[in-house]
Amino acid sequence: MNKIFFILIQLVFFIAVAPLLSGLISKIKNSLRMRKGQSILQPYYNLAKLFSKGEVVSATASWVFRITPFIVIASTLCAASLIPVFIFPASLNYLGDFLALIFILALGRFFLALAGLDTGSSFGGMGSSREMFISSLVEPVLCLVIFSVSLRSGSTSLAAFSAVGAAPVTFIIAGAALFLITLAETSRIPVDNQETHLELTMVHEAMILEYSGRSLALIEMASYVKQMIFFLLIAQIVFPVSLPVSVNPLQVIFWAIWFLARLAIVAISVAVVEVSVAKMRLFRVADFLGFAFVLGIIAGICAILGV
Amino acid sequence: MQVMILFAVLVLTYLMVIAKRVPALIRSFRFQSFFLFLATLLAAFKEKQVELYFVSGLIILVKVFLIPHFLDLMARKIKVDENLGLLVNSQLSLLAALLLTYSSWALSRNLGFGQGPLQLAAVSVAFSVIFIGAFLMISRIRAFTQVVGILTMENGIFLFASAVSGGMPFLVEIAVFFDVFISVIIMGVFVYRINKLFTHIDVNKLSQLKG
Repeated sequence: MNKIFFILIQLVFFIAVAPLLSGLISKIKNSLRMRKGQSILQPYYNLAKLFSKGEVVSATASWVFRITPFIVIASTLCAASLIPVFIFPASLNYLGDFLALIFILALGRFFLALAGLDTGSSFGGMGSSREMFISSLVEPVLCLVIFSVSLRSGSTSLAAFSAVGAAPVTFIIAGAALFLITLAETSRIPVDNQETHLELTMVHEAMILEYSGRSLALIEMASYVKQMIFFLLIAQIVFPVSLPVSVNPLQVIFWAIWFLARLAIVAISVAVVEVSVAKMRLFRVADFLGFAFVLGIIAGICAILGV
Repeated sequence: MQVMILFAVLVLTYLMVIAKRVPALIRSFRFQSFFLFLATLLAAFKEKQVELYFVSGLIILVKVFLIPHFLDLMARKIKVDENLGLLVNSQLSLLAALLLTYSSWALSRNLGFGQGPLQLAAVSVAFSVIFIGAFLMISRIRAFTQVVGILTMENGIFLFASAVSGGMPFLVEIAVFFDVFISVIIMGVFVYRINKLFTHIDVNKLSQLKG
């Protein structure tokens, strides 16, 4: 009973904080560009607006199109509940591990790609094909990162690698690889651009172009949560910190501040990268993610060497 | 800390493998040398040897500032800004470099450098930097990249020496630095002359020259 209560709290926390991260990133980007920019709460306003609007569904769309937003948000929230945030590590093992996380996220991505193809618009198809091209390059790297991290920490459980103390070299290099993939997965600048709807460059936006109203809100929410999952993974790998073992209020408060600070550090570095790097051609993305692959292998070598 | 610097050197070597333009290549070399400097400084701090401080000072002077600056100048003069002339495309180069890293790890384990994971890591990183430098020299057409390749090999040899015996004797070190710097200048002049005579620096075409 207690565990379920904690999982529910964690899901609420994810939904509440995830849009704030996007707002924070766009705020930092705008201040780096010497612009005033939108409010940090803008993603919440967008979501509220979308939830109160009606929805238009193409006449040729099948049930796949209608069911996709629910599958996407459900799979993403399911993945979010696997990450130990509030739950004590021991209670988590029966839910699933690192590998489960990858494949649960892949389910959502699969349905999104199907939905992009479903309406028969050329943009949707193009977006789906590009998204699958990128994700086929991302997933091996993600697997490598996870293998090397779990080789070092001795378990594929997500809670285990926060117990190693200070981050060893393996974790830092794996974290760097994970950072590069995160840029691709959350459609950030060197790979994709969230701010534009230009036909030639959009990837994720093209795939969900047909959605409107509540469905769009669900999909956006899912992508915020997914972004937070990846940021949390990076934060856990690069700055591992064990969860509070006892419910001492002072300890919990300190831990919560450090938790949010780690997320903010990752968000700031993403924003700085986004401002300082130009968007790549689609076929240069293969080189970019190839480098992430090499970082993953180097992390694996470090794990074998035991450093 | 030391291992972190070592693997940073390795990562930068990989960046050199996928670099597609000359400025990116030179920048990676500069950062690689900078991490070499950090490693030497750390070693000097740990072992409290005055000579190592001198060596690290020489690294930052020669390899971080003088040589990359000179290379930059040369690249601007002969305008090889785009296109490195890859014989092997960058994905295949990455795979080849990974293979080289694996074989250097296997080699250094079998050669008996396995006194503790730290030394094994250091020796295998040094070997793979040497091998990848050689690979850069073989797989790139332009004479320019071959200069950077031999400099990378030299960095690898330095790493190897410091991993195995805590650095070469001081006099040897200074001689090597002088050697490297002079050879870069000679090669630079050479590349410049080739470019001026034949309007390209494609070394494959040099074999077809008839005297």
